[in-house]
Amino acid sequence: MKRLRIAVTKGRLLEDSLDLFEKMGLDCSEVRADTRKLILPITNYPMDCVLSKAADVLTYVTHGVCDLGIVGKDTMMEHGGSYYEMLDLGFGKCRFALAVPEGSDFYGTYHSRVIASKYPNVTKAYFAGKGMDVSVIKIEGSVELAPLVGLSNGIVDIVQTGTTLKENGLVPIETVAPVSARLIVNTASMKLYQKEIFDFIDKIEAVQG
Amino acid sequence: MNNTIGTPEGTRDRLFAECRACRQVEKAVTQLFKRRGYCEVTTPNVEYYDMITAAGHPLPQESMLKIVDRTGKILVMRPDQTVAIGRVAASKLSGLPRPLRLYYNQTVFRSDDVNTGARSEIDQCGVELIGAQGVRADLEVISMAIDALDACGLKDYHIEIGHAGYFSALLEGLGLEEPACQTLRELVEKKDFVAYRKALAPYQDRDEGRALMQLPRLFGSAEVLEKARQLCPAAEDVISYLETIYDVLAQAGLSNRVQFDLGLIQTIEYYTGMIFRGFSEGAGSNVISGGRYDRLIGQFGDPVPATGFAVDVQAVADCLPMPEHKKPETVVWYTLSRLGQARELVSEMPKQTAMLSCGDSPEAAAEEARQLGAERLILVDETGVREVAL
Repeated sequence: MKRLRIAVTKGRLLEDSLDLFEKMGLDCSEVRADTRKLILPITNYPMDCVLSKAADVLTYVTHGVCDLGIVGKDTMMEHGGSYYEMLDLGFGKCRFALAVPEGSDFYGTYHSRVIASKYPNVTKAYFAGKGMDVSVIKIEGSVELAPLVGLSNGIVDIVQTGTTLKENGLVPIETVAPVSARLIVNTASMKLYQKEIFDFIDKIEAVQG
Repeated sequence: MNNTIGTPEGTRDRLFAECRACRQVEKAVTQLFKRRGYCEVTTPNVEYYDMITAAGHPLPQESMLKIVDRTGKILVMRPDQTVAIGRVAASKLSGLPRPLRLYYNQTVFRSDDVNTGARSEIDQCGVELIGAQGVRADLEVISMAIDALDACGLKDYHIEIGHAGYFSALLEGLGLEEPACQTLRELVEKKDFVAYRKALAPYQDRDEGRALMQLPRLFGSAEVLEKARQLCPAAEDVISYLETIYDVLAQAGLSNRVQFDLGLIQTIEYYTGMIFRGFSEGAGSNVISGGRYDRLIGQFGDPVPATGFAVDVQAVADCLPMPEHKKPETVVWYTLSRLGQARELVSEMPKQTAMLSCGDSPEAAAEEARQLGAERLILVDETGVREVAL
């Protein structure tokens, strides 16, 4: 059997991914061990884990240096890439939302709107779908700040509980898209290692029920 | 960035062995094309933007490299070779007897996102078999695609064949309205099977709905055809056509090189029937793509069926061991009156291992030879030819 390589997004998705792997009977002790190594073997299954940042998961899988990847739909929507999106893993659930300062009427004006976001591509696509002209400004840090200091009329961002928004006087007025973690597969790996990849997918589906 | 010594995004210089690796692939593939009776054509590196869009080419505008010419017309750097060949076939070659067998060895240009590692220049060697329909034409190109990868020296590879008709038959059976069909088609093209399954959820009480749900797994070796037949009896024509292709290729000893994917939908919409791709161990995406495009040439006023494929030269070269870079072995120094003899001497030696010296004296030549790392120096003068130890 060919040894597969999977890129897993570091951070919270990694925890959920390892929980899933363990439910599938995979031994993740090497991955959980606190080392600085970035390629880690699953000892009882022909697979190695590569730990990386979300957008890099897409890059590795698109280029085929990793056969599979686990990454949030938010990153996929923003960065694109070429791969099979095979499974909704059901964890890492949140949503993209449009949020505006409480009490403001976002749509009730003919003035062109300014939106701040860490996800300019998602934002542009969303408003293009509505046929609306908006200026999108990319923000790297806390996006909530932008409307507070008067840079933008609203933000498009990932919302989990809405607490941060509320504390900053913002209210989500629309869901742009739901988000959760996905299993993606490189286009060539899918064809070259069909048996191995579906063995893995079947194992996930078996524990997902 | 220093624009005076760098190269534009997505392009690069290929040096020595890198260059040879690609040339070897090109040579192996074009020799094969010639042996099968194909003739070479070259088309301009630039075409009218209008020509490309008139052909229904779906490549997004921003992915094409554009130039505005002196008269204000918009040109594009060749974004696709098949469209250009189709244009030639429908115009200059429209009077020739069919089928036409054409091959090309040129570059297509793309202008994709920066910093993704995507190539802006893609060297393609390919064939177009124009004016022939039916199983023999399809077999000719598929078997030639296998032979091409073989000739390049690839070991672990296969060609995966699909047919646009299978998916269409399933959609038709489900009786969906066109916008819904289009959504499903786009999701399959985008390979987004999560959204695809979600969109199909309401149709799970129908045979076609359940069959469509299986589509993401409907690929692999020839057994998949039988499974596909059971899932969609309405697509019998497509399945039996693919079976014929498989049987003939198997009899020709190529069964281990062929697989099928009933979910294969080419994003380039001019493909109309059988479509295929080649995958090789070592390449992260397909190394060959091709298929039947019976409507394309009609866009240029000459409705003829056609089929063909292109080999991605760099992608194949990357799967092969890098050829050795030849080291200089011999430097030949001559007195000016002996140039003729020195030239002959160098020409007789193994390629790229010998060269003439530019030094003014035997001593300068010896120094030059040492700098190059050569093994010997040969002096040609009035006294004759002699080797000097370095």
